[in-house]
Amino acid sequence: MDKRRVRNNIRKLRFYQDEMTQEQLAEKVGVTRQTIIAIEGGKYAPSLELAFRIALAFGVPLGEVFSYTSDEESA
Amino acid sequence: MSYRETNIFVSLASSLLVLGYYLVSWLQMYQEEGLNSAKVFRLWLIVIVATIVLNILGNILTNIVLSIAHAIKTQSKEEPHFIEDERDKLVELKGVKAAYITFSIGVFLSMLTFVFGQPPLVMFSLIIFFSVTAEIVGDIFQLYLYRRGVRYG
Repeated sequence: MDKRRVRNNIRKLRFYQDEMTQEQLAEKVGVTRQTIIAIEGGKYAPSLELAFRIALAFGVPLGEVFSYTSDEESA
Repeated sequence: MSYRETNIFVSLASSLLVLGYYLVSWLQMYQEEGLNSAKVFRLWLIVIVATIVLNILGNILTNIVLSIAHAIKTQSKEEPHFIEDERDKLVELKGVKAAYITFSIGVFLSMLTFVFGQPPLVMFSLIIFFSVTAEIVGDIFQLYLYRRGVRYG
């Protein structure tokens, strides 16, 4: 099995949302800022529900926020 | 350091204090007069009560200090809401699992001392020791997961 992991574009999407802060995003989706930091840094893969809430906060489809790719595919 | 990490750190510090006190008292008793059931029972009671009281006091003090820090930082009188989200719950779950595994191994080792002819007081003293140690292991594991990252499964 190839080594895939959950990657995200949260940093980029926050930038396009007028530099939305991690704190603001955390409040919108109902988690702590530390959890947003962990997700952004790839240290935590969120539950499906939280992933949908994050996508909803940015107003984009889930696939635009998260991807499930291997190192080669993401390079 | 987040609210949850601070709480775990306080719990870890209080457990280490209790464990230190327990070990020193137990070894002193063992060297001076051997194991005396009345004194051992008294020591267990002190350890159990101290663990509960220190944890409660630690939690209250942490909440007060963090609330003051939050008020100074945000310059508002609004009460802070320290939420516990899915990541916190997952970390806690894994910490509890690590603590249970440690305690189970500890109980097994304690029972072995009885099998090898040690008095029951030694076995129960070890069980108390491993119960506090298990809490310490659980706390350390949680702090580790907060730093390294946590995954499902």
